[in-house]
Amino acid sequence: MNRMLLKMVMAAAVGSLLICNAAFSQAVPKPAKKAAHVDIIQGPVLEFAREDLAIVRWTTNNPGGTDDHFSVVHYGTNPKDLSQTAKSHIRLNRFHQDTLFRVRMDGLSPKTTYYYTVTSEGSDGKGDGEVSPVNQFTTPASGELVQAFPQPQPGIPPK
Amino acid sequence: MPQSKLLVFAASCATIAGAMCFCLHVVHGQSESQNWQPPPVPPTQPFPAYDPYPPGILPFDIASEEARIMREITGIENEAITEWQALPPPVVTGNPPTIMGSGYQAVEVLGKLLNYDLNMSPFKDTACASCHLPYTGFSGPIPSVNLTMIAYPGSYRYRAAKRTAQRYTYSPQFPVLEYNTEQGLFFGGNFWDGRSTGYKLQSPDSEQAQHPPVCTLEMGLPDTACIAYRLQSAKYKSLFTEVWGDSLDISFPSNTEKICDTPGGAEMLGTTATPIQLTPQDRAAATSVYDHWGQSISKFEGSPNISAFSSKFDAYLAGNYTLTADEMAGYKLFDGIGNCNSCHLDGRSTLCVDQTYGCSPASSGLADTGTTAQVNPLFTCFGYANEGLPLNPRISLFYETKPDAVGYTPNPYGFAYRDLGLGNFLRSGFGAAPNPNASWIPQAPSVDGQMEVATARDAAMAPAQCPTTEAPGPYFQKEFFHNGYAKSLKQLVHFYNTRDVYGKLVTSGHCPAGTTEKVNCWPMPEVPNNIDMTTGNLGLTDTQENQIVAFLQTLVDGYTTPYPDYDTFTGKCFKGGTAATQGNSFLIPTPPLPPCASAICGVAPLPGPKPIP
Repeated sequence: MNRMLLKMVMAAAVGSLLICNAAFSQAVPKPAKKAAHVDIIQGPVLEFAREDLAIVRWTTNNPGGTDDHFSVVHYGTNPKDLSQTAKSHIRLNRFHQDTLFRVRMDGLSPKTTYYYTVTSEGSDGKGDGEVSPVNQFTTPASGELVQAFPQPQPGIPPK
Repeated sequence: MPQSKLLVFAASCATIAGAMCFCLHVVHGQSESQNWQPPPVPPTQPFPAYDPYPPGILPFDIASEEARIMREITGIENEAITEWQALPPPVVTGNPPTIMGSGYQAVEVLGKLLNYDLNMSPFKDTACASCHLPYTGFSGPIPSVNLTMIAYPGSYRYRAAKRTAQRYTYSPQFPVLEYNTEQGLFFGGNFWDGRSTGYKLQSPDSEQAQHPPVCTLEMGLPDTACIAYRLQSAKYKSLFTEVWGDSLDISFPSNTEKICDTPGGAEMLGTTATPIQLTPQDRAAATSVYDHWGQSISKFEGSPNISAFSSKFDAYLAGNYTLTADEMAGYKLFDGIGNCNSCHLDGRSTLCVDQTYGCSPASSGLADTGTTAQVNPLFTCFGYANEGLPLNPRISLFYETKPDAVGYTPNPYGFAYRDLGLGNFLRSGFGAAPNPNASWIPQAPSVDGQMEVATARDAAMAPAQCPTTEAPGPYFQKEFFHNGYAKSLKQLVHFYNTRDVYGKLVTSGHCPAGTTEKVNCWPMPEVPNNIDMTTGNLGLTDTQENQIVAFLQTLVDGYTTPYPDYDTFTGKCFKGGTAATQGNSFLIPTPPLPPCASAICGVAPLPGPKPIP
């Protein structure tokens, strides 16, 4: 009888702890469930470039995991030496099927061809697993712009 | 002429020419304010006004607008006194003792009395409410300040700080600042830079209310004990004692009045934060009073008086309002291609299924099974982000490089100041507050430039006489983002939409010929690290931007029930122009920027991976 009572008290204590923790952690949602497989379904493509800056974008299925994610580009001027890395914050929208990743690469040189691959990772440092083939872009001369990503027309959302 | 003298002469000429050029541009920025005169010495203070500003930073109507604010605040304070007098006698019963029946009302009325009390400042001319009045959703209440100097003048006119006045609405809902290792993110806290953590009172909002009274650039009291001292002679002293049980019988030394009448930072006070000499027991009592000051104001801010959940959108969630076609389109865009609800969480589990609003073709086979996951969504994720805003050269702090009449220099770094936001706070940097958790310091470079994600609720609130924030109006001129760079919600949405489409390698006021700043030219970010790339090229059309603005306007409280004290605005509305270029005639050219001061960007761990320019 005493043992039964002890078990009930312990169960109640553990249960109340769980309830308290659940309430306490409500403000900070747990990371979303990670996707079984993350694929690049569009891109990567150059969105914008000027003499010192380029933005690359690509779309994957929603990778899940931490809400704060990083778009990652490994790049360099030699396709066999992509030793530079640029990372940009993006925030996952849990209710979107796809996720658009974009990266700013700054400190670039004008009129220079850069080679790159893209991937993504959570803010916990865990990679999502997808890696693109090597792509390339060329920065324009000083004062010029490359606006490669098609701009939207009124009423037509971009594909 | 010897070469050295020639060099000095040349340098002097260049300096004078540069200064003339700069001043001319600044005067140009005043073009809509032809009546500008140097402000008179405020009648409330014994010192000359602190005015280190070039013409055009202090608004021409600052004196009359400050007087208006004081009148409006006095009116609401008198109303609060009436509310206090109407409270039933307190019945304290139970264990722990509780004010049965009227406890909620008592704390809320006390918070209101404290919030609107002009005596809580050295010159008895500035209350918390001086920068936060109801008709703006408790953000900055002076349209001309929102246009010209961004931060609000403190009790010592015209010292002013560096950021916009954040809305009170829903601020008590933010949790204690923590670094969540599972998400790899900072959550919670109050203030743009999170410096009000809530570590001690377990309420960031209560601790937020403790900062401005002793901020040298705001209410400016030199010692937290001045609050207990001023409460000793407050009309409503008995209510404070009834609610909290604090004894206000603190033995203050004879020089306390003189100290509390002296603005913080004054040379004569030295560097101590506690210039009032108290016994340890009296100091503890005064600190307890100060804690209860913060908690009372937080209770007021969390009450339906301020955080009312009474918007059109709340009525829509309850099935009592039908969104117009534009509002509904804006809502879908907010959740869809606009992706606003990745940070400004709307509490719905709506799947993004409508391709018209930018959702994935892959989702076309899905039904919208979304249900209301939360009946009172807060439209914030309690997180932080660097949206890549340009440095705003109108921020008053940049000019406060000279000592005032009591020997205090607010910003010795001038334009070498950079606002690193949360990163600066983690380093306990210049202009922030001490970071109470040393284990966070290594995270600073990863959050440089990040500012708190404010709730989108009540961003659009404006007084009844000018019920919109958008030109042509009649409109109430507000300011948006931490540095007030956007002057309308249209500009705010357009910035998110096109920051990276129209990004230029210039500073504000220097957009290339043929472009228009904030329309098709966005100057470069002040802090280029950690920029949030969720936004910047959303692909929204002009109409879609306007629809998101229409949706934001449904988040204004006061639709289902009248918003308390909403009708207290006695100022003037603005009229004319367009929301896209609202305030653009007040743009001024950013001067050549010196490198970021080592007191800010040279504090370990250094910003990276690239240095801040």
